[in-house]
Amino acid sequence: MKKILLTSYLLILVVSVKAMELVQLPLPNSDKIVVRFMFRNGCISDPKGMEGLTELTASTVMEGGTGTYTSSKIKELTYPWAARWSASVDKEVTIFTFEFHKDHAAKMFPVITGLILNPLFAEEDFKRVKSNQSNYVNQVIKASSDEEFSKKALEDLLFRGTNYQHMVSGTSIGLEALTIADVIVHYKSYFSSANLMLGIAGNYTKEYLEQLRSAMNQLPPTHATIAPPALPRSTNGISVEIITKENALGSAIFTGFALPTTRKNDDFAALMIANSWLGEHRKSYSRLYQKIREARSMNYGDYSYIEWYENGGSNMLPPPGVPRSSNYFSIWIRPVQTAEGLKKQYKELSDIKIGHAHFAIRMALREMQLLIDNGMSEADFNLTRDFLRSYMKLYIQTPSRQLGYLMDSKFYNRADYISEMNALLKKVTLQDVNNIMKKYWQTNSMYITILTDDSEAEPLKNSLLKNEVSPMSYSDALKATLPQEILKEDEIVSKYKLNVGQVSIVPIEQMFK
Amino acid sequence: MKKFLIVILFASLLAQSAAIAGNILPYPILQKDMPNGLKVVTIPYDSPGIVAFYIVVRVGSRDEVEPGKTGFAHFFEHMMFRGTDKYSKEKYSEVLKSTGASANANTSLDRTVYHMTGNAEQLETMFELEADRFQNLKYSVQAFKTEAGAVKGEYTKNNSSPYSRLYEAKNNTAFEKHTYKHTTMGFFEDIVDMPNQYEYSLEFFRRFYRPEYCTIIVVGDATQEKVNALAEKYFGTWKRGDFKSSIPEEPSQTATKYVNIQVPQFPPYLDLNYKTPAFSLERNDYHALSILSQILFSERSPLYKKLVVDEQKARSLSGGMYPTRDPNLFNASASIINATDMAYVKSAIIRAIEGAKNNKVDSLVLKETKERIRYSFAMSMDTPDAIANAVSLHLGHRES
Repeated sequence: MKKILLTSYLLILVVSVKAMELVQLPLPNSDKIVVRFMFRNGCISDPKGMEGLTELTASTVMEGGTGTYTSSKIKELTYPWAARWSASVDKEVTIFTFEFHKDHAAKMFPVITGLILNPLFAEEDFKRVKSNQSNYVNQVIKASSDEEFSKKALEDLLFRGTNYQHMVSGTSIGLEALTIADVIVHYKSYFSSANLMLGIAGNYTKEYLEQLRSAMNQLPPTHATIAPPALPRSTNGISVEIITKENALGSAIFTGFALPTTRKNDDFAALMIANSWLGEHRKSYSRLYQKIREARSMNYGDYSYIEWYENGGSNMLPPPGVPRSSNYFSIWIRPVQTAEGLKKQYKELSDIKIGHAHFAIRMALREMQLLIDNGMSEADFNLTRDFLRSYMKLYIQTPSRQLGYLMDSKFYNRADYISEMNALLKKVTLQDVNNIMKKYWQTNSMYITILTDDSEAEPLKNSLLKNEVSPMSYSDALKATLPQEILKEDEIVSKYKLNVGQVSIVPIEQMFK
Repeated sequence: MKKFLIVILFASLLAQSAAIAGNILPYPILQKDMPNGLKVVTIPYDSPGIVAFYIVVRVGSRDEVEPGKTGFAHFFEHMMFRGTDKYSKEKYSEVLKSTGASANANTSLDRTVYHMTGNAEQLETMFELEADRFQNLKYSVQAFKTEAGAVKGEYTKNNSSPYSRLYEAKNNTAFEKHTYKHTTMGFFEDIVDMPNQYEYSLEFFRRFYRPEYCTIIVVGDATQEKVNALAEKYFGTWKRGDFKSSIPEEPSQTATKYVNIQVPQFPPYLDLNYKTPAFSLERNDYHALSILSQILFSERSPLYKKLVVDEQKARSLSGGMYPTRDPNLFNASASIINATDMAYVKSAIIRAIEGAKNNKVDSLVLKETKERIRYSFAMSMDTPDAIANAVSLHLGHRES
């Protein structure tokens, strides 16, 4: 079976000759040099049954040795320089990044070229990398951050049956069968000079860049055809997947639906304003945050997204390096309390059936629908637009981020996304924003994933399916102080109709197999 | 104007290594001490149009000495966003949004940090907003009780991580009397009880949100003259307080303590901890142990090569300590592939530590480690935020 897979995999190797792309950002005052190699080849090119192969390949290359040095020898050699390098893989790109002090530019050259052009592919490096990657897929993702899990589960649901479904790190079964031979073939087949964008920033010389560029021409000139990225599935109604876990303290929620626009299109600017007002990432002045966290203290935060946001739990500003042409809108509702938890905390809530998840979803979707229906006010529009024009400058504070954003710009056929977006934002009108929401946003059809405690799943499923009233359950101490307007709004929200079509329950053990 | 003590710290960190020409932080650190005890630090840095504005308050979970009040410093950080008479919560958000800044706050063992990074032309607005809430914070009982739920939400999200749960259990076991016994989040039962602590919150504000507990740090596109003038204008009349925390001393530990948490389907994880001295500007303990942790546990170390690369018994190996005001823990930890190797990995780590006690460190390795720390630090200082954070990390150690 494995041999057949490998053979069919080699047959799709076709010629695709293109010149290497180049992005330069000389910063003569910096003491650092950043070199990024972006290959337009991400985990969507993992062959079926070999999910996780691209990340395993990239990690084996970057955590391994070269023809001259073993991985341990390289670590020893570069130790005093504090040079850093790493691989990051996303759906559509793989990026190798090197950061080092300008004092070590010459010494780092053979390390960089050695790792990329002449990777050692030692069996022991491969074994170590594979073991860690498998451990992440089999155990760590399921037993660590519930909210990161629910985000990955949403992608699994949105893209089920497509090349965009599986996690970058792959699946349990896919990883299990992979060998060092698969990794070697994959590297040779997919990492070519034709799908490479070379970026360099910082205090480097022209000669250094020329040497790097010339060296990279030693990569294979062609690569295998990469299948087009799959689009998110459409759904009729709201389709919910509840994933159960023992002893989960809260319910972690993500919702999403297909969004057929990206940074490539000028209308993205108008959508950015609408989204920022509704749910700017980690900002207290967005609507969802104010309604769910600030007014009702249901959780730690609530945000909305018009593109993939890498590791939102740790990043305050969006990192570069994850450009995608297949896009979706999403809402992140951070863990809310379960019925079991609330019962333990407050004796007055001893008879509740469900926790806060149903109410929180109702609240979020209602707020979104109100925004679509009523549009933004002129004052909110102006404030949000001006905020974004200033705030986006913070995305590119370091040489690494500046370079990353410039390279991502090319992915989207732009020269400089940040400055172009600034110009577009300046031109956007309130009418544009209100129109764009009606064009792309709705709340009737979407996917929702909820990771929750096993005690919460069945009651929550029934509540969602039957559109049961889901009153907000406050402790007596808090409820006594809440203003009437909040309690009145709670009553409306508790009955807000959601177009739920189906709800399924999946034990966490069955995920990402 | 005198150079800040941080300069001494950086100098000691970097002593005896000549790899990088010039200063490790090649920007002047300019400080003014105001009569009310507030310290104002300006670090002009080449970030055209961008400035980082930080206020560091020398209060953290270390100061939570009363029973039932664990997690309060962090909770209070949340309350600082709940408005004043002049700027209600909504108005504060609106003005903050108009500055286009990235703003937030964080609390740790010894300090609470409030930060805004954004348009340098809005520096005066930043000063005005912060001065107002630091001096005139005012929130209702309802706002107080509501915010407590958000803290519970934060605990809830953190709790899914086995590392968070182990950290909580470890500190609770390692310390008997000292307030490092509890984490900055606090114990869950105290978090659930937070809505009932309104009166205490007023007392907390009176005690710690005082000029003598605070340092303003401005890094980026700003001059010292401008920063000092704004500090005088907005913080000049802030009244000094008189509270001093009395932190229980931790008794000497006489025997090894153990704690474990069971997490099905999660890789076994071993965490060895040693009581170590507090951070000090006068003594080299912290620096020596930081260097030692790199020598013992970095990817270059013989132990890493043995356990992670050659034998593949551990997935990761790390060690180190935080620069805290009071004696805390030096830890060495490893994620282990097979639980049956736990004792083997533990012995190997202990042997490496005992070996360091009994043998001299190789002089070349020591030199290279210092060089590594220097370069790593130099390369990380590439934004106003990074510099402000580095400076704020060591502010808690300075009493006056």
